[in-house]
Amino acid sequence: MTTILSFINKLIDVPTSDPDDRRRKRLLNILLLGTALLPIPLIPISVFFAGQLVDNAHDAAIIVDVAIAVFLVSAALYFINRAVKGTLAAIFFLLFLCIIFLFADDPQELANGRSLILFAVPILFSSVLLNPGSSFLFAAISSVEIVLLALSIGIIPNYPTVVVYFALGLISWLSSRSLEQALRDLRSINTNLDRLVHERTQELSDALAREKIQAGRNRAILDSIADGVIVFDNQLQSIMANPALQGLTGIPFDGVTNLERLLDVGSLSGSDREKLSTLFNKSGVEESSRLDWGNKTLSIKAAPVLDTDANLIGTVAVFRDITKEAEVERMKSKFVGVVSHELRTPLSAILGLVEMLKLGIFGPINEKQAKSTDRIMFNTRRLLDLVNDLLDQAQIEAGKLKIKIEPFKPDDLLENVRSMMTKTAATKGLPLYGELDPDLPETMLGDARRLQQILINLVNNAIKFTKDGQIDIHIFGVDPTHWGMRVRDTGIGIPEDEIERVFESFHQVDNTAARFYGGAGLGLSIVKELVDLMDGTISLTSKVNEGSAFTIVFPILGPQEIKHE
Amino acid sequence: MSKSALIIEDDEDLANIFSIAIQEAGFETRIIRDGLLAQAALKEEQPDIVVLDMHLPGLDGSVLLEIIRSDQRLKETRVMIVTADPLMADMYTNMADLVLVKPVSFVQLRDLASRLKMG
Repeated sequence: MTTILSFINKLIDVPTSDPDDRRRKRLLNILLLGTALLPIPLIPISVFFAGQLVDNAHDAAIIVDVAIAVFLVSAALYFINRAVKGTLAAIFFLLFLCIIFLFADDPQELANGRSLILFAVPILFSSVLLNPGSSFLFAAISSVEIVLLALSIGIIPNYPTVVVYFALGLISWLSSRSLEQALRDLRSINTNLDRLVHERTQELSDALAREKIQAGRNRAILDSIADGVIVFDNQLQSIMANPALQGLTGIPFDGVTNLERLLDVGSLSGSDREKLSTLFNKSGVEESSRLDWGNKTLSIKAAPVLDTDANLIGTVAVFRDITKEAEVERMKSKFVGVVSHELRTPLSAILGLVEMLKLGIFGPINEKQAKSTDRIMFNTRRLLDLVNDLLDQAQIEAGKLKIKIEPFKPDDLLENVRSMMTKTAATKGLPLYGELDPDLPETMLGDARRLQQILINLVNNAIKFTKDGQIDIHIFGVDPTHWGMRVRDTGIGIPEDEIERVFESFHQVDNTAARFYGGAGLGLSIVKELVDLMDGTISLTSKVNEGSAFTIVFPILGPQEIKHE
Repeated sequence: MSKSALIIEDDEDLANIFSIAIQEAGFETRIIRDGLLAQAALKEEQPDIVVLDMHLPGLDGSVLLEIIRSDQRLKETRVMIVTADPLMADMYTNMADLVLVKPVSFVQLRDLASRLKMG
């Protein structure tokens, strides 16, 4: 069946590049096949019914002849249609129809009777076989034919039919035109679709190529960086790792199939192991940790990998070798510690000797000498404070500074600081006031020595930056579970944009201030570190040229509570 | 009989300062600047006060402290630790009679020694 269909299809198809031409030629071929095959059954029928349908054998012979002629003409046109470009075959076919219809019936019937309808056929066909407008041409030809035919046999031409022919031409023209328009639209839609498909395919293949390039680039980055990188899925099974990981951890990637395995080969201490395990199991947060891995110190950073809906699909961990940095840090702390320690001994000797001079142990001294000994003591103390600060800083950085919680009396704390600092404040003509909130318990828990250090640093700072006015120390209850200390001065103040940075090591508001006021800028950073160690908070309010107030709030330790707010 | 004090301190100047301050308080003083020599001296002498630096050549101050505290003969001896390291000061408050952090004031040391002499 399909072979028959494809044979027929092959028979009627005319391959040309113009789709309209092809459609017309196909249609013509179908019509030609029809006209060629139609007369064939007519021949036996005419012969068989020679006596009944037609008047005599002569007529039957004519019919046979006509049928053969039609067949031959159709065949000829078929070949022309296949061989010649354009509408030549169609024009011949339509003209052939126009001619052959003249002999199809009695002239009377053709000009004004039952066969008028025959001349409508070329009109209708022309609009689809040629261009739509040609239906008017064939309406005109058909009209001329019936008028001439009528005149030749002496009857009045059927003019209403002429009008009908033209009306038919008009209708054919309109419908063919809209058919062609629809086909054109369809073709342009098709073309657009083709273009779109092509564009999309191109885009996809471009994106794929870009993706490949990016992946290659990423791989190259991963392979060449010094940090070890390993990626786990959300079951903590490893997906990929880079060569640096092997260098850092000493294990081939094949050996690390999951987190447990990684922890095993790390030969970590129990606490480090736990630290690393929590680091990876904390989903959705970027975390970092440092630990000893064999003889190396590694910093390990873990970050979540999220899909487009922000679901956790894995963890990426970056291992960095910070052995050298850690060593430098240790050496620095040790160096500062040793140096500070070694500096304190000669400074102690200087202080002791000057004190003895002043006391007259080595004989009486005059007023000028006494003043000089005061200056030597003052400056040596300054130097000593600096060394102490450095030592504290080193201890804080090394994590060696421990807070010792003991009972202390806030009253004693305030009095100690006042008695130690009043004299220093007085050298600049500044009164130092102390106020203790009566609501505070008489005895509290805390590291009195460090609390005193905090207040002394703050008061020293206040004295340093205040020309005139006063300095106030206030110890007070904040709420039933917190207490606070505040040191307020009437000094030069701190610009708003510097407030955040005053607690950094070696920071002074501007470097000219460092030269003018002296000090290394360690005092406030130590205060901050000490406050942090004691779980307190420190805040600073300040106005340039009006003064600053440092407020520290600590949680109340132990059973004591503040009686009233 | 006047009371005696042993000053164990490696820094010459500091040792002299301590010595003078304690003499001012009415003690006879002797300075030893080496840990091992101090150990030997403690075997023979029975000082009323020992001023002890923790950081010493020869033998560490902490070892000398142990020796003094474990020797029945020296149970009356008062020990004043003088150290430059505040952390060390915290560690020995229970074993020593006094712990002072350098720099030690001359007046402070003299007054403390006087108080120890009184009992």
